[in-house]
Amino acid sequence: MIDRTIETDVLIVGGGGGGLRAAIAAHDEGARVTVISKGIVGKSGLTQTAVTGFQAAFGIADPRDNADVHFQDSIKGGYGLADPALVRTYTGEAVAAVEDMEEFGCRFDRDENGALFQRKLDSSQTYPRSIKKGDSLGTPIMQALRRQAKIREIEQLHEIYVTKLLVASGRIAGAVAIDFRTGETLSIRAGAVIMATGGAGELFPVNSNTPDSTGDGLMLALDAGAELVDLEFILMLGHAMLHPEAVRGMLFTFQYLLPKGARGPFNNDGEPFLANYDPEGSDNPARHIYARAIFGEVRAGRGTPHGGVWFDPGSVPLEVLQDTLPSQTKYLQSFGLDVSKPFEVGVAAHYMCGGIRIDVNAESTLPGLFAVGECSGGAHGAARVGGNSLTEILVFGKRAGRNAAAAAKGELADFNNGEADAEANRVLSLLDRDTQGRRPSAIKADIQKTMNDYVGVVRNEDGLASAVATFDELAERDLPAMSPATDGRVANYDWIEMLEVSAMTRLANLIASAARMRKESRGAHYREDFPDTNDRDWLRNTRIRQENGAPALVPVAVAADMAGAA
Amino acid sequence: MTTLRLTIERLTPSEDEAPHDEKFELEIDGTISVLQAIRRVHRGVDGTLAFRNCDCRRGVCGLCSMMIDGKRRLACMCVAEDGMRIAPPPNRRVLKDLVFELD
Repeated sequence: MIDRTIETDVLIVGGGGGGLRAAIAAHDEGARVTVISKGIVGKSGLTQTAVTGFQAAFGIADPRDNADVHFQDSIKGGYGLADPALVRTYTGEAVAAVEDMEEFGCRFDRDENGALFQRKLDSSQTYPRSIKKGDSLGTPIMQALRRQAKIREIEQLHEIYVTKLLVASGRIAGAVAIDFRTGETLSIRAGAVIMATGGAGELFPVNSNTPDSTGDGLMLALDAGAELVDLEFILMLGHAMLHPEAVRGMLFTFQYLLPKGARGPFNNDGEPFLANYDPEGSDNPARHIYARAIFGEVRAGRGTPHGGVWFDPGSVPLEVLQDTLPSQTKYLQSFGLDVSKPFEVGVAAHYMCGGIRIDVNAESTLPGLFAVGECSGGAHGAARVGGNSLTEILVFGKRAGRNAAAAAKGELADFNNGEADAEANRVLSLLDRDTQGRRPSAIKADIQKTMNDYVGVVRNEDGLASAVATFDELAERDLPAMSPATDGRVANYDWIEMLEVSAMTRLANLIASAARMRKESRGAHYREDFPDTNDRDWLRNTRIRQENGAPALVPVAVAADMAGAA
Repeated sequence: MTTLRLTIERLTPSEDEAPHDEKFELEIDGTISVLQAIRRVHRGVDGTLAFRNCDCRRGVCGLCSMMIDGKRRLACMCVAEDGMRIAPPPNRRVLKDLVFELD
């Protein structure tokens, strides 16, 4: 049974940057807004961990830069698979998004003349375009968004886990959820729902995400009838700390030290290797090339003890290190690392390029269901270039909020209380399971190992087939018997984790299946058995939708750029 | 590998009259945070231990605020050391073990 009922115009699931930007926009259109999060609204999600930059073509650092060059760079960086209409939208509105943030009280770094400081993150940017704030850009953005949400007295509910989205007459009607702290079941009736649930880095054993990044939002949307797109493209970065565990997965953006004279990363034989893996021979290539290069060195037996390569921060003076990466340096030192000696750096899952397919209004294919940020799909194609993620969440967050507010006007869709009760009973029945089954954390470890071995940086047919078989077997054998360590409802993470792991098993299977279907290499997806990009057959997005109760994967030709054609 | 011994204060308010301490042991390879140690206890030693599976790893969210050896610390930013005692923060209503009511 449902314990508690909430009614709102716009329900936002996710309390990171995209969710809060959407909440502010929806509120400003006059909607009643409720933001819920698995963690603390405004202090969860990955926006707060953003370090590198935020692309907006002000043309300050180089007057030749403009929104059209940003568009071209992003289409190229997405290896032809990004939805041109979405890219036009966020490149076209990027400058306004920065100006909104400054109006919200967020100040970015400026030069001595007071002009915004812009820098080039990597070779994917034609001109220096990324703005920054020290080396922790996400913190001031979240502070400003939190302050704006507070001023508007937007309703915020913390530690709420959504188990199902409810649909009536072909449009969104609300959600069923669990309150972690009390164990109560909630029904939330809403005129529109915005998914801002982030990515799924937790599918991999080493990731730069937070441990609640389990991809539940994608499965909720799929089950409600929305389409997903391009799940096979998972950005793996080669800038993660590997050892010790205290800092494992933390990004150490050493590439910014290279122009300042730092020695480039080297393998266990002491040799540099990056240029050998970049098609253009660059020794500071696009981000995903780092991961493939490091994976290649490790597989060739030239890796470090914990499966990576070396980077020596001691090859620049300590002042340069502290000046370039102040908060990262301080962070590593706080765990007792000696920053004058080489560390092991390597591959971590960083970003899911695909997700819930949206249009330029940030609406999914299910009317009334919107998506913003990493859980959404289409904006980045086959590999997101650095600095576009904050641009995207702020542009589409604002659009999602405005459009959801408009969609929520008028009467709410019928809400089926019987369906909500049935869902609550399903979720509660998980606690009644015999506690002799495998615990969710054990199954999660299996998923992570399989993803790492076969669905990570380098893929091939045999590995992907075996991964799909593993995920099928987990779904058939392990999930039905999975059980929590305790049957209490209060603060029972095993209970939540059972739901997360069920979603993760299905999502992992879809990612592996999409990767298996795509018999080419493109962007973040690299098949060693099909190492070339095949534009003739695969300039296509992989759409995923429920058909007759099972997900169907359908390749569809990339949309033409209508703005460019006009 | 080294052995990490931790003492954790436990309380199930609906069942216990007062909190009690329990001791746990982990084998670790290099430095881990207190929050990682707690997660390992939950995963591998005692799944009934209630904790929050948060980890912003930056001291931002504040959800892992705890008393660590008598001092209020953020468990994600604190190196786990042998013999540590971990308890929920004082003046907060404990919901279960290390999970306490928010403001």
